[in-house]
Amino acid sequence: MHDAAETVSATLAAPLDEAGLIRAAQRGDEDAFERLVRSYDQSVLRVAMNLLRSPEEARDVYQEAFLKVYRNLKSFRFDCAFHTWLYRIVTNICLDHLRRRKVRREESTVVETDDGSVDRMAQVEENAPHSDPERRMWNRELSAGIGRALDMLTPRERTVFELRHYEGLRLRAIGEIIGTSEEAAKNCLFRATQKMRASLEAFV
Amino acid sequence: MNCSEARKEIPFYCYGECSGETEERIEAHLAECPECRIELERHRAFLDALDSRVEATDGSLLASCRADLRTHIQSENTRRRGWLERLFEASRWHIPLRIPVGAMALVALGWFGARYTPQRFGGLEANLAEPMFSSVRSVESNGSGTVQIAVDDIRRRVLSGSLDDPHIQALLLNAAREESNPGVRVESIDILQNNADSEPVRNALLDALRHDPNAGVRLKALEGLKPYAGDEPVRRTLADVLLKDDNPGVRVQAIDLLTAHHDDSIVGVLQDVVQKEDNSYVRTRCRNLLEQMNASVGTY
Repeated sequence: MHDAAETVSATLAAPLDEAGLIRAAQRGDEDAFERLVRSYDQSVLRVAMNLLRSPEEARDVYQEAFLKVYRNLKSFRFDCAFHTWLYRIVTNICLDHLRRRKVRREESTVVETDDGSVDRMAQVEENAPHSDPERRMWNRELSAGIGRALDMLTPRERTVFELRHYEGLRLRAIGEIIGTSEEAAKNCLFRATQKMRASLEAFV
Repeated sequence: MNCSEARKEIPFYCYGECSGETEERIEAHLAECPECRIELERHRAFLDALDSRVEATDGSLLASCRADLRTHIQSENTRRRGWLERLFEASRWHIPLRIPVGAMALVALGWFGARYTPQRFGGLEANLAEPMFSSVRSVESNGSGTVQIAVDDIRRRVLSGSLDDPHIQALLLNAAREESNPGVRVESIDILQNNADSEPVRNALLDALRHDPNAGVRLKALEGLKPYAGDEPVRRTLADVLLKDDNPGVRVQAIDLLTAHHDDSIVGVLQDVVQKEDNSYVRTRCRNLLEQMNASVGTY
């Protein structure tokens, strides 16, 4: 068992040659595909969760995105970085979800209760072992405020804002991902930032 | 650059998205314009506030997404195999196509069968107690009638035992470092914390607190270290976490543990935090604690 654990650690510690992994996965190597998935799936799930604020929808995005990658990997020609290609798939699926949500006028994740605004997603954190009610309240209000502000953005603005602010992607990469120029992504980020600041004025 | 141009660029300046030339022009303008400097500070405060958003991540969701994906891919491959099987079946009745299509289907079936549906492949000979495998790695004949087949074993084993059992404890310590699954790490730390009087367990908690990328795991480790908050190595780690951890929730918990034991040596750490901390809530907590300890808020 000890030897097996060491082998696993050694495998995990091995330098990840992404191009090599992609080529191996293109040839049908299931292990290579799984390693490729594991290099990116935490970020994919985080982006989907933060954009959609729904574990059910995030789960759907995860499955749909990686199945698309699996089915189309053979056609990936290294014209762009793999992560750009993957993020393009993920953001397109998320944008579809957000647009459908707008059409259905689905309720926001932020709901009004007798105790004020509450972000339903923030409730997950309520079970965390916090000792300070004051901090909990402050975090809850601010988080609900951020949720409300994000809900006011268009799907495209929200995606650009999420990728730039929370994922730390460069505007040039975001432009490639959403299929637009860096300048257009910059304008979109500016509009999103203005709206967010106006919405959160009471908190800062 | 005038004020209106500077204010349009401030959001991009904060993200490091301006060209070198634009950055220089903004900085030259800021040096002369107190109002735009205030605007820059307000924008930075806005960005800090955004970082207080609850991160909607969940370790168990990731684990179940991975399991679902594996199932989807497996069933997709099984469907492909089914199509080939039907093709092979049809070829038996159409004489002109029989040999080429049948041969192709046989080769493809063997390939898919060996790679993706091993439980069926192995099911003819193996009973249910035998391990199932995900793929055949190599097949070798030694010439004397026996064949050596290397397969990846995917059988799940359930082990149970007391937390005092060194084997169980070793598995849990290993699971606490399970790189890919924060859900497993949280559960393992949660169980291990009941045995935090053992040094290896305490070291694992300290290690998780310092290095685990998931804030939920770090919070669990903090919980387990609560009874040892007076110990020197634990206090050193807590002070480090307070200064370096990127999650304000973890930093606040570290403050709580550090201040649960009266110790003037933390004054310096708290003063440091007041100077460097970005999060206004954590800063305020430290400031209040320093005031309660009759210590000065700043360092001179």
